[in-house]
Amino acid sequence: MAEEVAIEVEAVQAVYGEDCLVLDQFPPHLHVHIKPRTADVSSQQFVEAVLGIQAGSKEAVERLSTMNHPDGNCPLCLYPLFPEHKQNNILPFMKLMSCFHCFHSECIIRWWNWLQTQQEMDPDNSSSAIVQPSNEIEQQQGMHGMTEGSTGNCPVCRKVFHAKDIEHVLSLVGSHSLNLSSNGTEITDDEKLLHSDSEVTRRLKFEAMLKLQEENNGLIEPKKNGVIVPGMFLQRPITPPSALSAKGPTSEQQQRDPIIFSETSSSGSSSRASSTSEQRNLGMRRHRVRNSRKPVKQWVKKDNTPTN
Amino acid sequence: MTSSSAPSRKVLSKIACNRLQKELVEWQVNPPAGFKHKVTDNLQRWVIEVNGAPGTLYANESYQLQVDFPENYPMEAPQVVFVPPAPLHPHIYSNGHICLDILYDSWSPAMTVSSICISILSMLSSSTVKQRPADNDRYVKNCRNGRSPKETRWWFHDDKV
Repeated sequence: MAEEVAIEVEAVQAVYGEDCLVLDQFPPHLHVHIKPRTADVSSQQFVEAVLGIQAGSKEAVERLSTMNHPDGNCPLCLYPLFPEHKQNNILPFMKLMSCFHCFHSECIIRWWNWLQTQQEMDPDNSSSAIVQPSNEIEQQQGMHGMTEGSTGNCPVCRKVFHAKDIEHVLSLVGSHSLNLSSNGTEITDDEKLLHSDSEVTRRLKFEAMLKLQEENNGLIEPKKNGVIVPGMFLQRPITPPSALSAKGPTSEQQQRDPIIFSETSSSGSSSRASSTSEQRNLGMRRHRVRNSRKPVKQWVKKDNTPTN
Repeated sequence: MTSSSAPSRKVLSKIACNRLQKELVEWQVNPPAGFKHKVTDNLQRWVIEVNGAPGTLYANESYQLQVDFPENYPMEAPQVVFVPPAPLHPHIYSNGHICLDILYDSWSPAMTVSSICISILSMLSSSTVKQRPADNDRYVKNCRNGRSPKETRWWFHDDKV
């Protein structure tokens, strides 16, 4: 019992890294720093929290891992930020870094453009939520070298945000907006999400942590948009399949995937057989292996060579 | 003023339609207390019955709000007026126009009909005296040509009521 719990504690530590503070090993008492995004409760949106976890940590970890995206509706169009049914109109979401409120990129940009237009049409009119002292605007231009130093207010909390907050979305949405607004076309997956610089940094950190955790055989499922493809590293402990069963799949593989063939053949045919058979053996993971970068394949080769 | 603030009779954009349908569904599931949406087939004009909150000056009184949505809703605020007779209130003119910042300068697209209604009821409820705005006659006279309250340059000065 105590051993099982210790494993779980270790898993949580692996998952949360520095965000996890173990107060007691047994009975387990943890402090985990999390950043939930509960967009449907307006008073509690995107508050950071420290979770104290006592026992039962496995389930908590699983829940957190599936909730790592904003929940609730876009405050502007009132449709879900992140629909459960992927075939529905999926708009990429973004959050304002000043206040962490999330919107569909399309929606917040539409508001932004509206504010700009209103201001151009009637600069004296205070009806837009964009009135800022001009000296501040100039400061912004000076600091960031932006051609547009405009500001807007978060539609939800009115906190000021700057053009740079949404700059990274403007161009992309601009090119898609006609499509999106007319028929809400599908955008497939996380790769279409747009992130500000700090979000990108955060994600990199997260993925590094995820990788670490994967290496430690942790609990969280890899995120689908993984560039790193943590599954690669899980191959190490897998015992190489026998050379016998590799024969058939190998030739099959050669026909279907000449690229892999040429890459692997550079270091000898014996290693090729085992590496491709391992791909076969991994079943679900296979497409990842094939998409993977060369260095990883080389690693697999070296390890398997002795089996032949 | 520009013509953009004139009451728009243009047909709702697709975005506005989707959003209003969503709001209507939400209203039906979870209507704001004290309000009744009068069902019509016109998505662009909502007529809403307001009941004064118990324990306030407007308890047991009933009024009608008329909400007209512009083509670019929710980027642009809806036009919200009381259908005369309007409640006697220091910020409500006898022609039904309401002096409330969120309907004009402070509009945000994250607001909904429901949140507007709650604001209006709150404005009614916090009133301590039943009277018209001081400039009621002058204002109403100026609006005789059917001017929209959105064309008015409102001066929001009183945050108590």
